[in-house]
Amino acid sequence: MAALWPDNPRLIGEGVPRLDGLAKASGRAKYPSDERPDGVLFAVVLHSPHAHAKIVKIDTSKAEAIPGVKGVHLIANEGATLRYHGEEIAAVAAESEEIARDGCRAIAIEYEVLPHAVTEAQAVADGAPQLTPRGNTQAGRAQEDGDPEAAIKEAAASIEGEYSVPVITHVCLETHGQVVRWDGDTKMTVWASTQNVDGVESEMAGAFNVPATDVTVLTPVMGGGFGAKFGADTWGVAAGELAKKTGKPVWLFLDRIQEHLTAGNRPSASAKLTLAADKDGKITALIAETAGTGGISRGAAFPLPYVYEVPNSRRQHTDIRINGGNARAMRAPGHPQGCLIMESALDDLAEKMGIDPLQMRLNSLAEQDTVPSGAGEPLNRSEIYRDQIKLGAEAIGWDQRKPRSENAKASGPLKRGFGMALHQWGGGGRDDKQVTCIINPDGSVELRSATQDIGTGCRTVLAQIAAEVLGLNTTDITSNIGNSQFPPGQASGGSTTTPSMAPPAYNAALEARDLLFKRIASALDAEPGDLEIGKGVILVKGEREVPWKEACRKLGTMPINVTGSFSEGLTAQGVGGCQFVDLTVDTETGVVKLNKIVAVQDTGLILNMMTWKSQVYGGVIMGLNYGLFEELVMDPSTGLCLNPDMELYKLAGASDIPAIDIIPFDNEQMRKRGVIGVGEPPTIATAAAIGNAVANALGTRVPNFPMTPMNVLNALAKA
Amino acid sequence: MPPEDHKAPAELPRPGHSRRDFLRGSSLAAAGAVMATSAETAMHEARADVSEADGVEIFSGSCPIELKVNGEAMSVTIEPRSTLLDTLRNRLNVTGPKRVCDRASCGACTVILDGDAVYSCTTLAISCTGHEVRTLESFETDEGSVPQSFLQNDALMCGYCTPGFVTACQAWLEKNPGKEPTLDDIKQGLDGNICRCGTYIGVFQAALDAAKAMKKGGA
Repeated sequence: MAALWPDNPRLIGEGVPRLDGLAKASGRAKYPSDERPDGVLFAVVLHSPHAHAKIVKIDTSKAEAIPGVKGVHLIANEGATLRYHGEEIAAVAAESEEIARDGCRAIAIEYEVLPHAVTEAQAVADGAPQLTPRGNTQAGRAQEDGDPEAAIKEAAASIEGEYSVPVITHVCLETHGQVVRWDGDTKMTVWASTQNVDGVESEMAGAFNVPATDVTVLTPVMGGGFGAKFGADTWGVAAGELAKKTGKPVWLFLDRIQEHLTAGNRPSASAKLTLAADKDGKITALIAETAGTGGISRGAAFPLPYVYEVPNSRRQHTDIRINGGNARAMRAPGHPQGCLIMESALDDLAEKMGIDPLQMRLNSLAEQDTVPSGAGEPLNRSEIYRDQIKLGAEAIGWDQRKPRSENAKASGPLKRGFGMALHQWGGGGRDDKQVTCIINPDGSVELRSATQDIGTGCRTVLAQIAAEVLGLNTTDITSNIGNSQFPPGQASGGSTTTPSMAPPAYNAALEARDLLFKRIASALDAEPGDLEIGKGVILVKGEREVPWKEACRKLGTMPINVTGSFSEGLTAQGVGGCQFVDLTVDTETGVVKLNKIVAVQDTGLILNMMTWKSQVYGGVIMGLNYGLFEELVMDPSTGLCLNPDMELYKLAGASDIPAIDIIPFDNEQMRKRGVIGVGEPPTIATAAAIGNAVANALGTRVPNFPMTPMNVLNALAKA
Repeated sequence: MPPEDHKAPAELPRPGHSRRDFLRGSSLAAAGAVMATSAETAMHEARADVSEADGVEIFSGSCPIELKVNGEAMSVTIEPRSTLLDTLRNRLNVTGPKRVCDRASCGACTVILDGDAVYSCTTLAISCTGHEVRTLESFETDEGSVPQSFLQNDALMCGYCTPGFVTACQAWLEKNPGKEPTLDDIKQGLDGNICRCGTYIGVFQAALDAAKAMKKGGA
């Protein structure tokens, strides 16, 4: 089918309130963690109290003897090595959560505590404990372009810099977990807080050796994932084991401490680099040694050079393992790190050369950076960036910006600064997902897909598309998602959900409409080609209006049930954006106060302006947290995480939110590209822009993120 | 507060364990401050079914109490250490309030206790006997209501923090009837709540709109 999105849409692009918004705002929406099936038992996970230890002996008999404890499941056995504070050891199911916690405390374990390395410095130090047989560090192959040494020699100017950002964690508000109920020996119902309904289904089916069709994963709504909730996880399987053992449904969600320690993190990043430019202020060369840790797992690589064209570059990256929880994808994996390192260095070089950093960015964009445009000719993203930068600079008041040297000389402790940064992301859809559209004889319309709504409004957007095609209101459509028994749905990752699911929803609605026309035409004394969709009516020969419900009644008893697939031309990929920050730093306290953030973002065809804006605001605020507050703190001496909570792991509250100006880069050309996806891109550049604004305000670079009072004052002390 | 509320923990007669031990065992020492007379009585009367297995102290025990939740009298058997949040969610199936941080940092569990917004994750259920507990399930949802205002402003994404924000907002408006708040008032009023999706901008507008509607409605 060669359908394209409609030229003059009635609903697409409008701000339509969420279908499940009132249920969420009135407490009636049932999240997986709210499910309490009859006879439910509550399970609690026991985790490692040590950074590195061997389990010598484990005795669960006392736990099993506690009245109310119904089952104990060992995740790690005697002889197992625990590699970080928080690694799972066992799970206990009991009549109440309180008793399950008692059960965990009653498990007697003898540990052989091993030496640990919980910081990158500890892991690379001489005599560090070896965390894997292959060592603690793993160097990637050097990436090289051109001749960076020669280019640096010929450059008009260069800087040498060091920048770093620590490990942070997702802090999904609904913790990871599932409720598992066995229905007989092979059938299983799983209420999972996941961004990957189909993935959890196959994982659970594999773990228990039952057919995937016998596993039903339900995720009607879920409380945030940000990349951490793709799998069933060891504790999900433990819930299944306990449910099997006890014959009762088992509720198992991590507590906040475990969530912080074991449910995923965004790796740290650091770089020691040389950046050089020619006399016109165009970047010509980059040499970088980079490193990062994702904890006990790998995955700390990030893109560099980032966004800009650097003809001569060499980069050597090293992944470092420590005794910490595993890295997991986190909103635009790698990009926030690459962005803040590249953008910090670029800003410092512009400062050294006395060039406006905005101009230096324009100079250093590639001449041709082509991205697909959906149905038409490819687009040059560099031109899009130029337009976006113009819009953003005007909205923040970039002309008020003064060079660092001038700000540093300003009197008084309060210094104002401006900063900016650019980012990019892929997005785009997958072609193997489906949506079913059902039109019932009573006129009700239902969409079905296994995909889930991670909070972006997927349920609403799909209904909006069907409503557009069928001439109905969004609220007339029932959008049933989050059920693994429905047609295959996209996992919510990479900003691919909407671009993967919107085309099949559109095609399903179009096919359902055509089939409806075919089935009811004769009953309306017409040919299928005589029928058209009007608003809430079927138009016969452009004149007679038959109300939607009356027309559907002509279907008799057989509903229309069609499944739509992907088709070309409805999506594209490759977006960009820029962000600007205006802030004030108190040089006596080190406190950074944001005055305003401007975010300009393109994402192709925007389906729902209201939920789109919410996502961009949300991305910016997550970036704000990354720039100002977040850091997972490990204690070098004990090896324990010091802030697995929401008090000492700081996140922005209401008073930390500045004015935020969102500018959708939305024009005819963008709309023609089709749907792309916006979850990730707007979170990338914020921290980088904040860091640059802080450097601009202070007259000196704060090289270590986040921009906490400690890091700011440390940088001032060294300046 | 009457003087008997300030009895030293050690003076509390309780079979087997002092309240101090109980609090240490349940990691809820912070909640001790909110214990009221009725709570202590209930604790005292609790049939503490304490099992002690070779040095592992178990503080379980059943304690039947009456709670008034959303205008309805409810009988429930809890443990003295059970929080109001866990009692609502795990025993009464009132799952509107959410458990997120479990230590009074994020506000997702906010309920209205005798007119005050409180964190139910650090309020002991037994301290609520004789008091009125309201959760967001009891709020109006029609035009101009707080939940409706959240919907209209897309003041929610994943929605897990939303019950707390809605409840804090409702409590603020009830405490300040007829007042038209500034943006700063709203920010201060909601500073005890955290949203990870970053819906604050919508939340601020929802709160401002709800205040306006409330004033117009003469409530």
